[in-house]
Amino acid sequence: MRVRDRLFAWIVRMYPREFRDRFGPEMAAAYRNARDDAASRGLGALSSFWTSVATDVAMRAPGEHLMLTIDDVRFALRSLRAAPVFAIVALVTLALGIGANTAMYTVVEAVALRPLPFPDSGRLVRIWEKNDTLKIAQFSTSALNYLSWREKARAFEDLAAWRSGSVTVATGTEPVRVQRIEATRSLLPVLRTEPVVGRNFTGDEVRVGGPRAALLLESFWRDRFGADPSVIGRQVSLDGVAHTVVGIVPDRGLVSQVQIVTPLLIDPAKESRANHTLTTIARLRPGVTLAQAQQDMDRVARELSGEFADDARWGTVVASFYDWLVPPAVRTALYVMLAAVALVLLVVCTNLANLMLARASARSRELAVRLALGATRARIIRQVLTESLLLAIAGGAGGVLLAWRLTPVVRRLATGVLPPGSTVSLNASVLFFSLAVSIAAGVLFGVLPAALSRTGDVAMVLNRGGRGVAPQQGLARQVLVISEVALATVLVSAGALLVQSYQRLQHADLGFNPNRITTAMIGLPAERYASAESAITFYQRLVAGISAAPGVESAALGSGPPLTGVSTGMPVGAIGASPLGSADMQADWRFVSGNYFATLAVPVVQGRTFDQREIGEHGLASVVLSQSLARALFSGDPLQRQVRLGNRRVYTVIGVVGDVRNLSLATAPRPTMYFSSGELLWPSMTIVVRSAGDIPVAQTVRRIVASLDPELAIFNVQRMRDALANNAAQPQTTAWLVGNFAALALLLALIGVYGVLAYLVVQRTREIGVRMALGATPRGMTYVVLRYAMRLTGIGVIAGAAGSLVVGPLLASELYGVSAHDTATMIGVPLALLAMSMLAAFVPAWRATRVDPLVALRAE
Amino acid sequence: MSGRPRRAVRRRPSGRELRRLANSVGIGYNNIRYMNRRDIDRQLPLPPAFLHILIAIGDGERHGYAIMQAVADRTSGKVRMSPGTLYGSIRRLLDDGLIEEVMRRPSRGDDDERRRYYRVTPFGRAVATAETVRLSTLVQDARAAGLVLRKG
Repeated sequence: MRVRDRLFAWIVRMYPREFRDRFGPEMAAAYRNARDDAASRGLGALSSFWTSVATDVAMRAPGEHLMLTIDDVRFALRSLRAAPVFAIVALVTLALGIGANTAMYTVVEAVALRPLPFPDSGRLVRIWEKNDTLKIAQFSTSALNYLSWREKARAFEDLAAWRSGSVTVATGTEPVRVQRIEATRSLLPVLRTEPVVGRNFTGDEVRVGGPRAALLLESFWRDRFGADPSVIGRQVSLDGVAHTVVGIVPDRGLVSQVQIVTPLLIDPAKESRANHTLTTIARLRPGVTLAQAQQDMDRVARELSGEFADDARWGTVVASFYDWLVPPAVRTALYVMLAAVALVLLVVCTNLANLMLARASARSRELAVRLALGATRARIIRQVLTESLLLAIAGGAGGVLLAWRLTPVVRRLATGVLPPGSTVSLNASVLFFSLAVSIAAGVLFGVLPAALSRTGDVAMVLNRGGRGVAPQQGLARQVLVISEVALATVLVSAGALLVQSYQRLQHADLGFNPNRITTAMIGLPAERYASAESAITFYQRLVAGISAAPGVESAALGSGPPLTGVSTGMPVGAIGASPLGSADMQADWRFVSGNYFATLAVPVVQGRTFDQREIGEHGLASVVLSQSLARALFSGDPLQRQVRLGNRRVYTVIGVVGDVRNLSLATAPRPTMYFSSGELLWPSMTIVVRSAGDIPVAQTVRRIVASLDPELAIFNVQRMRDALANNAAQPQTTAWLVGNFAALALLLALIGVYGVLAYLVVQRTREIGVRMALGATPRGMTYVVLRYAMRLTGIGVIAGAAGSLVVGPLLASELYGVSAHDTATMIGVPLALLAMSMLAAFVPAWRATRVDPLVALRAE
Repeated sequence: MSGRPRRAVRRRPSGRELRRLANSVGIGYNNIRYMNRRDIDRQLPLPPAFLHILIAIGDGERHGYAIMQAVADRTSGKVRMSPGTLYGSIRRLLDDGLIEEVMRRPSRGDDDERRRYYRVTPFGRAVATAETVRLSTLVQDARAAGLVLRKG
């Protein structure tokens, strides 16, 4: 065959098969003739011939495909209109399934899939200090170590560090407390962030005693200064000190959510290597791996350990920057949820495949007639698939609508896990995902019925008079029901575990009474409260003032009350516990005022709390231990015994108090030591107020603060009840979501069981009639049907229970107080599912007993 | 079957319904076509290619390539259909029942066994007539509006 002829044959192949079957050979011949004719008329004719051939390929062939598809779509719409119940069930379940998947995916996309907003962020690393002897895996960096690292390390282009805190800004009207980081000049270059307006700090500005400069974050600049570019060069007062605004930084350009950046001023003379306060990141040199950087830093740490005694046992950890911002645990939790919704969609598809099969067998006669009249099998498969794809895409559109309505809910859900500058939105990537999922779902539930539609033999179907069914369909439906039951078992087990976990969380012993407690933070500018005495006096007057205010039952001061997000730790050891001295252990520490425990209703188990004796420089060095810490350090009576801290200071135990869940609801109480806030203070302290009734605590506190010092602002005001609710929000949502997914899957599975059995009974009416005529009892027939149901669901729940055992460990990180392999759940859920399936099977079983042998046999 | 007797009289299906049925079954409409005024009107205006084909086989059956040639000859080569256009149109004309395949093959010398012959159906003739009337009305209207200079 000549190349030209082959080309024509190839062009013909681009047309749909039906078209080719009718016109293929003729068309190829027409192409040949037309070409020969054109060739005889000259070059111009020939070129216009080839142009028309190109048009045919580009327009006509796709056009014919489109015509056929339009025909198929019309046909599918008509056949769906003829089965409205099926169509509505399919659309609603698909919309739910795809909507849930889309909504879940928006979060996964925003958190785990979107690249970080920093150029070339793969080369960014997070550097921690570590101390193997103290079992501290990751710790902040000391300023001196940061300087040494920057000088000695060779693996990095540059390092940057910052310290987080808050600062009071006075800009005309009223002072506001904002989040501030003190950062090195290298921070912006390391992150590759350019100021929107103005410039980064200069070398002068990061020197102690140099001019005071500040960078504003873009959103803060918009909100406070109306995005006025002339703010550059203007003075703002930070904690009473004038700073010059030198630049505006984009919000997405920094790692943490702050409003102001000021230079990190390091005075080596005043710093100690033991003072770990800095967050350190670095940008690797091109081509350097994380492992190589770790080796380099190990060398640096060894050199420093040899050089400085107070850095002797400290090493470094070079870790992934991405994992730090988007913790793997969060990603896992998200993927667990995504898997759960994917399972729901799988159940939806299984159920629809089942319904389609039932429809297909009801329509087998129609299909046979069409085949007999000359329709091709390919065409029929195409039509079945068109129907399922049409449903899936319509369902997908409904799902996207649903997800769009759910976006605000999802957004609330995702706060806290989103990396900086990321937002949850239905963007192109999400829409593409939904489309892909819809098509996959359509193919999934359409392909089996389509494939099975070809196995029927036309003559056989027509002869059977539409009564029987191809055996493959029966088998396929059984397998589908078994998988549905198995998937539902997995989901219900997961849901049951999460719901139990949430309930345990709700009843967790907090160790304090959260009712009517409000907390507010406050910080004293070091410039105006230079001496410890002045600050201590201020706080004493403040607490006294608030306590005396009407409606306040009790007020206290603490450096980190429960659920305020403060976490501090230090090694501690008992003196004289044994001849060798006890091994150091890590304990949390807090500075609190004497009435702190009374205000929070933390029980004082032994001894006393702080009073006037622990005030000021010459006060007693006393410590109050939490029960678990006291038990761990001392075997006998801990009172009047002494402990030595990691900073070598020695304290005497004066009291023991109950254990408190300081960090979160789900975190078990940690061993804690409390020191007197009359002795030492933190840069920012928290006021704890228990009100007598429902009074505006924030206003009261604000008024009293203003009466003592009008330039101070309070911040992070929260009611303990709200903090608890926030704390439980994530597990609650997870349990709620997975629980609902599970309920949906369960419902669908039960519908599947019912459908298959009901169909079975109708299909076997004649057989049942014969058996009844031969003396089978109605009870016997019920038994036969139920036994069959038991076998199907039995296999399903066993497979599902096995699946749950495999899936369980993935949930472990989400569970509190309940094991991922909880025996009661692992046995109870499958049994409950079995029982419910039996209920679903009972209606068809009962119907089997109503078969009248005479009617059944006369139908022959 | 016992029970109520089935309704004896059923509404005659419209041509459109029959055509749908034929399409969904995958067989040509020509086998079960049915003609009425509304079906004719629904075909109008007729695409130019369709009218060219109908004219080409108006005086007798032709095979596909012969239709292409006839159109080209009659228009002195101004209209040259590509095979894609031709067979795409033929499919539509067949499916809509305007033309039909001829079962009998004319015994001419150049007859090729691959070739199928097409002729206009009465319905196709009615549609072509209706289209011609529509076009001539259009020409008259244009003339009345002074858009056509002289009668050719």
